[in-house]
Amino acid sequence: MKDNIIIRFEHVTKQYDNDPPVLNDVCFEIERGKFYTLLGPSGCGKTTILRLIAGFIGPSQGNIYFNGKIINHVPANKRQVNTVFQDYALFPHLNVFENVAFGLRIKKLKNAEITEKVKEALRFVNLKGYENREISEMSGGQRQRVAIVRAIVNEPEVLLLDEPLSALDLKLRTEMQYELRELQRRLGITFIFVTHDQEEALAMSDEIFVLNNGKIEQSGTPTDIYDEPINRFVANFIGESNIVSGKMIKDYVVEFAGKTFDCVDKGFNPNETVEIVIRPEDLEITPKDQGKLQVRIDSQLFRGVHYEIICYDQDGNEWLVHSTRKVKVGDEIGLHFDPEAIHVMRLGETEEEFDKRLENY
Amino acid sequence: MKKMSKLSAVYLIVVFFILYAPIFYLIFYSFNSGGTMYQFEGFTFDWYKELFKDSRLLIIVLNTIIIALLSAAISTIIGVAGALAIAYSRKRRVKNTLLSLNNVLIVSPDVIIGASFLILFTMIGIKLGLISVLLSHIAFCVPIVVIMVLPKIEEMSPTMMFAALDLGASRWDVLSKVVLPYITPGIFAGFFMALTYSLDDFAVTFFVTGNGFTTLSVEIYSLARRGVSLNINALSTILFIFTMILVIGYYYIAKRNRPNGMGDRR
Repeated sequence: MKDNIIIRFEHVTKQYDNDPPVLNDVCFEIERGKFYTLLGPSGCGKTTILRLIAGFIGPSQGNIYFNGKIINHVPANKRQVNTVFQDYALFPHLNVFENVAFGLRIKKLKNAEITEKVKEALRFVNLKGYENREISEMSGGQRQRVAIVRAIVNEPEVLLLDEPLSALDLKLRTEMQYELRELQRRLGITFIFVTHDQEEALAMSDEIFVLNNGKIEQSGTPTDIYDEPINRFVANFIGESNIVSGKMIKDYVVEFAGKTFDCVDKGFNPNETVEIVIRPEDLEITPKDQGKLQVRIDSQLFRGVHYEIICYDQDGNEWLVHSTRKVKVGDEIGLHFDPEAIHVMRLGETEEEFDKRLENY
Repeated sequence: MKKMSKLSAVYLIVVFFILYAPIFYLIFYSFNSGGTMYQFEGFTFDWYKELFKDSRLLIIVLNTIIIALLSAAISTIIGVAGALAIAYSRKRRVKNTLLSLNNVLIVSPDVIIGASFLILFTMIGIKLGLISVLLSHIAFCVPIVVIMVLPKIEEMSPTMMFAALDLGASRWDVLSKVVLPYITPGIFAGFFMALTYSLDDFAVTFFVTGNGFTTLSVEIYSLARRGVSLNINALSTILFIFTMILVIGYYYIAKRNRPNGMGDRR
């Protein structure tokens, strides 16, 4: 086993009574010092994974390893991980200082040492001078930071964050994304971040696990997952996509919307049925006769950064286009895209098969 | 709208007047030098002086206070434990059953509680007196404490306990450092409620008190039976004022939902 693996899930299943399993035979490894994100819709099992690591619940089957040792039955209060909760779970009867000092007092450190550590930690997140504030006097963003400090002051090897930004407004959320990422780099410890917000995941992570129905659909770096989604679910969940069915004629040639196009994918069977993904920002609006595809504009929505344009081709496929240029609804236009913009997905492929095929490129 | 509020104001005044008039009538005549309740002759403290000269009466006051403090303290401990058990019982059915049993005790008539305690104590041979009064007071105060503490526990976010565990706290730490400090306002409210209930209880005490031991409300009742004396007015006034002080104290604590300075506790 490699040294830099800190947490390993081995065929972990979590099931309550006779309900369908919340987690179904999940395997993954977490490396030291990286920023991980568990991404998925609500009910996909991402928070369950976090609770299994924190020790609030135990697995029904399988083993969880921490630093190479099985920790299935180690209680939460004996684990070297700390959690930042979605609702922060700060203690309202204690002030900021005592909230942060909570874990240190449990460890029975000396008062002087506690004071020093708490002050140092508060300085670390720009909360110097807030020691004597009550929790009720703090704003949402400040509470967020107190919750983070309360966790990291215990010097955990892994910090778990359970959708900690979901209660903040958009601007503050973006700020905190930068801060969290920066914090992780400075501390050098492993962060495991749970979210259903794909933008957050893409912006912050070294590695993303996309979950659905208690299974990991795909794992990889943000660019891997965005550019090479393994299936329809991942393509739809991470960013917006145009997904149409097509046929792989031969290597580097694919057919969809009644035409053949050059692409950069290979390794499929001749004439295999596939799904094609093209991201809306990779589609470029051209005059009708200059585009690779001819479409009619159905509707247009102003989104601030860009226009969201929905068009249909003659086969009835819907095409979503992001463009900074305004168009007229009802017009016929052409769409241009590069061969690299076409991503071909094999139907029902597992992550292992997918990775193997990608290696052959 | 304006008209309605005027009407409701008048209604309120009438209701409160009817409710409070007898009490203030009684208090007013406790300062009457005339000795009757229909003719005010002059202002005097004589009735109060007489009360305080009566050492038997002072002992009764002391009994009443001791019973109230002891029963409130003990029922608070039992009630908090009970409320925690109800709040954290896993099965919904168990929880609802316990809560219903608790609430039945609150609404059941004092006379029935008193009579049943009298039967119980005579059956198992507990001598009627301080112990029997104390036990029965604890018994009817516990459900009140439970009702006062329970909402505070339920309002507590369960992740707070996970957070404490996550920070290394043992189960005992979670209880003593997180749960109990959090529900302290509820505990105080329960204690004060129990105190007032015990202090002014008549029906239950009347049944279970024996020779040589009595509390203020029972004493006032027996004085009133013996004949009209403004002593009773004076005594009632003192009891009323004392209860008022407790109620004010209760509201003061209830209003301070999150007491400051708790942070230094360990």
